[in-house]
Amino acid sequence: MRSPVLPLTWHLTRSSGRRGLQSHLLAAGAAAVGAFVMLVIIAATLGAGTRADHTKWRTPEAVPAKQATAVQALATTYVRHEPVTVVSLAQLPGRHQTPAPPGLSSFPKQGEVYVSPALAELLHKLPANQLADRFPKVRSYGTIGTAGLAAPDELVAVVGRTPTDPAVSKAAGGSSSWFDIGQMERAGIAGFNGDTASMFTSGDQGIAVLGVVLLAMPVVVLSAAAGRLGAARREQRLAALRLAGATPRQIIAMTALEAAALGAAGALTGALAYVALLPALAQVPFGVGTWYVDTLWVGLPWLATVVAVVTALITVSAVSMLRQVATSPLGVAQQADPRRTRMIRLAFFAAALAVIFMFSGGGLQARQAVALLLLFYGAFWLFGPWVVDRLGRLVSRFAKRPATLLAGRRLSDDPRGAWRTVSGLVLAGFAAGFFSVSLLGSDTSQYQGQVAVSTAHAADARHAAGEARTLLHRAGVTATVTTGRTDAYDNLLGGGPGVIAHVEGGPAQLDTAVTVLTPLGTGRLPYGQDYAGGADKATFDRLDAVTIGTLALSFLVAAASAGLTAAANVLDRRRVYGLLRLAGTPLKVLDRARVRETVIPLAVLAGGTTAMGAYGSYQLNKAAGATINTSGAIELVVCVVVGVLAMFAAISGSRPLLRKSTADPAQTAD
Amino acid sequence: MSTVLAGHGLVKKYGSTIALAGVDVEVRERDSLAIMGPSGSGKSTLLHTLAGIIRPDAGQVLLRGERLDDLGENRLSALRRKKFGFVFQFGQLLPELPAEENVALPLMLEGMPRRQAVARARRWFAPLGLDGLEQRRPGQLSGGQAQRVAIARALAVEPDVVFADEPTGALDQRTSTEVIQLLTFATRNTGAALVMVTHDADVAAHCDRVLQVRDGRISNYSQFTVA
Repeated sequence: MRSPVLPLTWHLTRSSGRRGLQSHLLAAGAAAVGAFVMLVIIAATLGAGTRADHTKWRTPEAVPAKQATAVQALATTYVRHEPVTVVSLAQLPGRHQTPAPPGLSSFPKQGEVYVSPALAELLHKLPANQLADRFPKVRSYGTIGTAGLAAPDELVAVVGRTPTDPAVSKAAGGSSSWFDIGQMERAGIAGFNGDTASMFTSGDQGIAVLGVVLLAMPVVVLSAAAGRLGAARREQRLAALRLAGATPRQIIAMTALEAAALGAAGALTGALAYVALLPALAQVPFGVGTWYVDTLWVGLPWLATVVAVVTALITVSAVSMLRQVATSPLGVAQQADPRRTRMIRLAFFAAALAVIFMFSGGGLQARQAVALLLLFYGAFWLFGPWVVDRLGRLVSRFAKRPATLLAGRRLSDDPRGAWRTVSGLVLAGFAAGFFSVSLLGSDTSQYQGQVAVSTAHAADARHAAGEARTLLHRAGVTATVTTGRTDAYDNLLGGGPGVIAHVEGGPAQLDTAVTVLTPLGTGRLPYGQDYAGGADKATFDRLDAVTIGTLALSFLVAAASAGLTAAANVLDRRRVYGLLRLAGTPLKVLDRARVRETVIPLAVLAGGTTAMGAYGSYQLNKAAGATINTSGAIELVVCVVVGVLAMFAAISGSRPLLRKSTADPAQTAD
Repeated sequence: MSTVLAGHGLVKKYGSTIALAGVDVEVRERDSLAIMGPSGSGKSTLLHTLAGIIRPDAGQVLLRGERLDDLGENRLSALRRKKFGFVFQFGQLLPELPAEENVALPLMLEGMPRRQAVARARRWFAPLGLDGLEQRRPGQLSGGQAQRVAIARALAVEPDVVFADEPTGALDQRTSTEVIQLLTFATRNTGAALVMVTHDADVAAHCDRVLQVRDGRISNYSQFTVA
């Protein structure tokens, strides 16, 4: 006999009425948000890897001298505080022709200059003595194609040189200071099969993974909330079916089918939204700037996987909510005991922290680090509900108003539910709080206004200093020029031979100084404070961006979760709310209780960990003699304020539903 | 005894269905009135109209001489909270609050400090046979116990009138008798009037008077002498 599950499910879903349709739409909407967020973070992670791959040709892959066909030198210069990667290439005479580097149609001849579109634009925009004069003079620049670039905003130049040009000489290999690591390199090459990604992209994927880790749980929670939506309605309907003779297996199959269909529809919508919004997403800057659209395309297998995972999460959540009905026809939503949490959670969390502390010393392998991270995550996940439970008890103990009392009681009645809504924000808040106000990395403020020109010997430096004064004066730059001393470590030369120009004025003056002093550098470009802090900036700015971005996305997901949970609660409790209102309980009391139920753990837990992160970072900064990253702190405050408002808006979104559900429960002819 | 609540010429229509077709009813202090009738006869509509939950299309509802039917929603809501108590068939208690806080809730809503409200709520537990159940949640109570908590909540505000809509509808015969005895006894003791909808003649027999409603009209009226 044909199974009645499919036709019956379809019939019941279709005939579920307006309220049923609302639940279906909300559940599908949550699935869409979950799939969208998941795809965005996967796209960012995979895209960051692709971007790094696109930069690997720039760092020369040394081959034995006899096999080398060309010399390649990587250099980095800064304009308007942004890095410009300069790749100098010289074909060695009498050797095989070196293949063309990625993005170029042929190996550049001496005197040819190829630039990325963003650099071409900047060359056009800025006066020649601030940028163009750092490169050989050419009639027109060639263009580096997308194959050689990580991002549309990247500033890259490829310069064809002769093998005797100082720019490809041994001096161009850098390593005179630790600033050079990742920013200068020189070697004999036979092609462009390098394996070292640019310093400005190499850490991006790892940092994006941090975002994935922080966002994974909120997305799971959102999907679970979507599965829970309409549980009461489903329970009533299916309990009736159970009484009519349906088997537990049929009940579960029907629930799974309905939830899976809704989840798949929502997840597909989210996937379509991701595809449609790709061009807009590509405009969101990260690391080396905005993205090429195809870099952010995850591919069909990932798309299908995300849709399947979100659908599965919603289905599992919906089925687990129905276990009671399936096992007992009358086992409907009659929660007898509060879901209290035990002290063992605190003990487990403390033990986990101790283990992590013990093993997190140096020399940790990747697998061990992942294991410790998972342990922390698991312990944190167990600990959270215990804190919410205690918080709920505390709030209800001291509550004076009915709304606060109700909110407190609800928190301790279902601490896991309340925890699920805010858990993502608790972790993301801590990370964002820490990294956004931090001034991690080496302090380079003592180099402010300095432009250094290295020379081979101290004697050259004296001569170079005179020339520097003349060049700077001619260019209209006010600067004091000194020569480097072997006992002076407070300048960019760090005790090496060379010239230091102390420039007065802003970025334009500094860029002019770097440009006009370029001819003085024997094999290396002049450099300033940006060069000294380049490596740290590449890491910590990204961490700041990712954690703030993660916090923003966590708020989006948490707002959706909170909105869904609030709507689900109204639907689940509409009878008791209706009767209370009928007996004269003001709607605002019920509404305030709903809002406080989310806001209290949000403020205490998420607010607490965000503040803790920021405070910890401030103390670290203070110990290093710094203050705080003001712009990062402002970003954090804006993000938190907007996020909290979004949460309020999401919870308030179900206020009309509450009003309507409780408006007139007496509308019957009886 | 003076009239507490009165309805004069009450008319209520739902589309083409006439739920009340000119009903007159009066309730005096300590009076208990049962409203009976078949399904769809208009008995619940009459109770809701007298309680100011539904506005009549015609006629007046007076509480101690003051008209209710022309009051604004906020004033009506406040009046229901202060002057009326409600007992429904089931599902009126907040599942997350212990019994004593469920009873104290209307008092707190009136601005009474929590400690005082809970203390006052506790006074109702012994007389209603709920001793020792103060900390239990609704899910941990039997149907009869939950209804007694609901009665305590209805009486806690010391109302003028208690409205009960099928208060024993979900209970077995024995529990039903216990609950209705407690309800009528307690309302009488506090001086409140009781207006109750029921389909059970045994339950109705505990009231002073019984109104039979059919097709939106009073079809019969009987008076009992209660010992």
